[in-house]
Amino acid sequence: MKKVIAGVLSVAMVAAFAAGCTTPETDATGATDATGETVETDSTDATDDTEETTTAKQEMTIGTGAEVINLWSFTNEIPNMVNQYVTQNPAFGEKYTVQCTIIATDGGAYQQALDAALVAGGDTAPDMYAAEAAFILKYSQGDMAKFAATYESLGIDVDAKAAAAEIAPYTIDIGTRDGKIVALGYQATGGAMIYRASIAKEVFGTDDAAEIENIVGAGSGNWDKFWEAAATLKEKGYAVVSGAGDMWNVCEKSATQPWIVNGELNIAPEREAYLDIAKKLKDEGLSNDAAGWTEAWYADMAGTGAKGVFCFFGPAWLINYVMIGNCGGEAEGQGTYGDWRVCAPPVGFFWGGTWVLGRDGTAHAEGVAELIEWITLDTSETGLQYLWANDKMGNGAKDTVASGVVMAKSDGTLPFCGGQNIFPAFIAGNANASGKAMTQYDETINGYFTDAATQYAEGNLDRDGAIEAFKTNVSDNLSF
Amino acid sequence: MSDNTIKASSIKRNDIILKVVIYIVSIIFSIMTLFPFVMMFANAFKSTYEVQQSTLTLWSAHPFQNLAKNWQVINSKDFHPFVGFLNSFIVATCSTVLNVYFSCLTAYAIQAYEWKFRDAFNGMIMAIMMIPGTVTMIGFYQAVYKLGLVNKLSMLILPSIAAPMVVFFMRQYLQASLSMEIVQSARIDGAGEFRIFNQIVIPLMKPAIATQAIFAYVGSWNNLFMPLILLTDKNKKTLPVMISLLNGDIYRTEYGAIYLGLFVTVLPLIVVYAFLSKYIVEGVALGGVKS
Amino acid sequence: MRNKKLVNYAKYGYLFSIPFIVAFCLFTLYPVIYTFIIGFTDLKGAGNTEWHFLPTVGKNLFANFKDVLTSGTFQKAFKNTWIIWIFNFIPQIGFALLFTAWFTDRRSKVKGTGLFKILFYMPNIITAATLAILFNVLFGYPKGAFNDIFSGVAKVFGVTREAYNFNAHEWPVKIIIAFVQFFQWYGHTMVNLIAGVIGISPEIFEAAEIDGANRVQTFFKVTIPCIRQIMLFVLVTSLIGGLNMFDIPQLYIGTKANNAGLTTNMYIRNQAFGGSYLYNRAAAASVILFIIIVILSSILFYILRDRDEAKLKKLRKQELKAARKGL
Repeated sequence: MKKVIAGVLSVAMVAAFAAGCTTPETDATGATDATGETVETDSTDATDDTEETTTAKQEMTIGTGAEVINLWSFTNEIPNMVNQYVTQNPAFGEKYTVQCTIIATDGGAYQQALDAALVAGGDTAPDMYAAEAAFILKYSQGDMAKFAATYESLGIDVDAKAAAAEIAPYTIDIGTRDGKIVALGYQATGGAMIYRASIAKEVFGTDDAAEIENIVGAGSGNWDKFWEAAATLKEKGYAVVSGAGDMWNVCEKSATQPWIVNGELNIAPEREAYLDIAKKLKDEGLSNDAAGWTEAWYADMAGTGAKGVFCFFGPAWLINYVMIGNCGGEAEGQGTYGDWRVCAPPVGFFWGGTWVLGRDGTAHAEGVAELIEWITLDTSETGLQYLWANDKMGNGAKDTVASGVVMAKSDGTLPFCGGQNIFPAFIAGNANASGKAMTQYDETINGYFTDAATQYAEGNLDRDGAIEAFKTNVSDNLSF
Repeated sequence: MSDNTIKASSIKRNDIILKVVIYIVSIIFSIMTLFPFVMMFANAFKSTYEVQQSTLTLWSAHPFQNLAKNWQVINSKDFHPFVGFLNSFIVATCSTVLNVYFSCLTAYAIQAYEWKFRDAFNGMIMAIMMIPGTVTMIGFYQAVYKLGLVNKLSMLILPSIAAPMVVFFMRQYLQASLSMEIVQSARIDGAGEFRIFNQIVIPLMKPAIATQAIFAYVGSWNNLFMPLILLTDKNKKTLPVMISLLNGDIYRTEYGAIYLGLFVTVLPLIVVYAFLSKYIVEGVALGGVKS
Repeated sequence: MRNKKLVNYAKYGYLFSIPFIVAFCLFTLYPVIYTFIIGFTDLKGAGNTEWHFLPTVGKNLFANFKDVLTSGTFQKAFKNTWIIWIFNFIPQIGFALLFTAWFTDRRSKVKGTGLFKILFYMPNIITAATLAILFNVLFGYPKGAFNDIFSGVAKVFGVTREAYNFNAHEWPVKIIIAFVQFFQWYGHTMVNLIAGVIGISPEIFEAAEIDGANRVQTFFKVTIPCIRQIMLFVLVTSLIGGLNMFDIPQLYIGTKANNAGLTTNMYIRNQAFGGSYLYNRAAAASVILFIIIVILSSILFYILRDRDEAKLKKLRKQELKAARKGL
């Protein structure tokens, strides 16, 4: 019995791995072993699968040049870009070899490996590396900032170019150390309010973005009108948001004071307000009480939750990579597809993003600068940001980018949003977002704070108790 | 006479009740056990969005289309299943063999010989076993980076020679089942100490070796954190490290592909386990003759 | 004669221990010493390699230790660890013993025990991350398998029941984590115990059978005493594993629910990687955890020590001494 199971499994495994082997390299080695005939049948069997596969497979060693640039990142996004650049500029590939290292962010592994590699230095140290919003501050302004080269020192005329490209100011704030830019992004993640047109029409009598902006108090910097709208929505049986967590990003990123000021914990009023927001949503039943990234949250995107949900707060990527897939349909009329619109939120914010840095003292400053400039500052139609915004990088999505110049000449018309051009709302979002109130401790502190808010909303702690618990956590774990 | 029959029949009835209880409890636990595997398997046939909408449903609208797509995702993301399998295989197999063999040897050294520092050595092993690994781990990988030994599979294999917990188990096992008379008689037959260990003691310890080998293999195969930090070269990555690449950004996690990857990772383990479990399953005494 | 032999063979004891010692010194010793030292320094901050002993910067040598021990978060983590461990260990050892008794019983003719033995270990080969996701989905809120079942049952009785947020409350979180730990490890414990039973000579059982012992008596009077060494192993390693518990609580809940699932090991990692990179405090906490484990394990060793063996050892030592004196 057991042997049979084991036998079946082994066969299944071998088959699975054999299927996985049908990449060109292994095919070639296989051909020397087997007779011509079997190889032939093999490859015809597998053509359907492998053809696409091989085109999609990216190389981790790009170019053939003598100078080796070590590139570290946590996804394949930037390696893909470098690949694109080398395709466009073969000369670069002849001069340099870009050696890509991708380490997942699981359990902080990417940061730990990157830190160890930067500290160890030497030939294999990263010359160019990526950091995402959750930890960029550590590399641009925090503990690890000493390893980052200023763009200027790499030979980029960054101030003039950033101004000319109209780079979103919050991305510059985040990437600036002592007045010098050390990191810039390609994506901009300024947020908008993404709402359901059908619910808007039923409850407010209009789905026009400008009128909805008026109703929720877009750009007012406070939530007063938003709560009025929420009450109206509740009367008609709708929830204004899926859960309190949806509003956290907005509260957090709209703050004007960071968590830590002069070595002391400081709770900005915009963030403190979240305690009351979470409590209000729960007590008054204004949301579906779903946490982000859970089944209930995704269900609200499909409109299958307990109550219909009026809006989500998020950047373009939330639409592209989360909402479109989870809306329960693929064309107008199915699920909530085509029913969504975007408008400016009551309070400006951003959410996520990736920044690119060069290592101070890299031996290949010129090559690193060339890549960084193309990724973060080039506004031409062959520049990365244009390709990124217009779905020419194989993302299957029109995403917002940091350069206002590029955004202005890109088209963000999306059938998912009923044919609305979503870019103007996000350009406004990029402009309104602030990156001045961030520290390297934010990810941890945010975790403690949102949990304190949940505890308060659930009634496990009173308001003072929640703040006390939060302060204890910060002082015990971060020593502030 | 009749008393006896009553007694016998009541024993029989008790037997049947016991059997029913055993089956019911065992079947409940079996279902519980199989549940995560079924879930992994079912989700391998789903699209990312299907997983997000409902992780526990067992069916998908387009199972085979999704499976093909998930496999494609796996292949597009710097994921070379065969390379990963080979690396995982090398690391897990070598470290298991070293782990188990040297643990037996060390345990035997403590159990069978009387030497001056024996108790001190034993105490030291126990103490090492009790060191929390969290922070020492940081020192370890920092040193590996400093010394430029990144991307060496041996850095994941050789440390398993010193596995205090396994030594502890082996020693406990030897205490219960090694009889020095066998060793003595082998010595009288003129066998060398090393040969006695290899040809008499090792076979004696088969059940212990099998269990600890399974644990060591599983531990090494599923180990994610250290390989994640120490293996940065795509040709050196193990299967779990490759799967971690599918996590990508917060907003672009390929859940269907992750489950397929997890399933592909767990299959070899099940095979290894099925082969080694012989020693756990067979109720025959493979152990020593100490009575 | 016998003593002389033992002395002669001593060199093999040294020889056979060399590989362990070498591997330990090469791979583990340095990080261990480093950790121990760091606990008395001011080392913190990512990428920082410069440190000073605390007295040289005008602080108490034990300041880090004091910080950890007086921290409410550490105390809570320590308490949580115990609660979760006990809730997981009692059913774990209970079921492991029960299954061992059932599956190694030579007299019962239960079919399929081989299959059950294999199956029950299987939860241990699934990664903690997968289990954490699975249980998060099961206990999801407001949509989740358990909430769906409960509201379904409530509906049958004509009551509307609001979904319960398991992961926002302390006790449900602790009990779920303890259950996942139990689920992951009971088979592992069972396999260890069964290996011990298989090592027992069949003659002992035959003798017990002939003496008319029933199955329960056989298990408690014969099997358990014979696997006492393995039981000691199971207890000590479970204690160590329990006090080092990390991945399930971390992946299932992290620091949420007001630290309901925070364990000492998670506390240590949060010190080291939480954002301030307090390596010194993390190291101090590790040393404290080490001392706690050593004390508790020593108590276990003392309680479960083999009294006969200890006596025998003493006797042998005296013999040896006498023999040496005689020489």
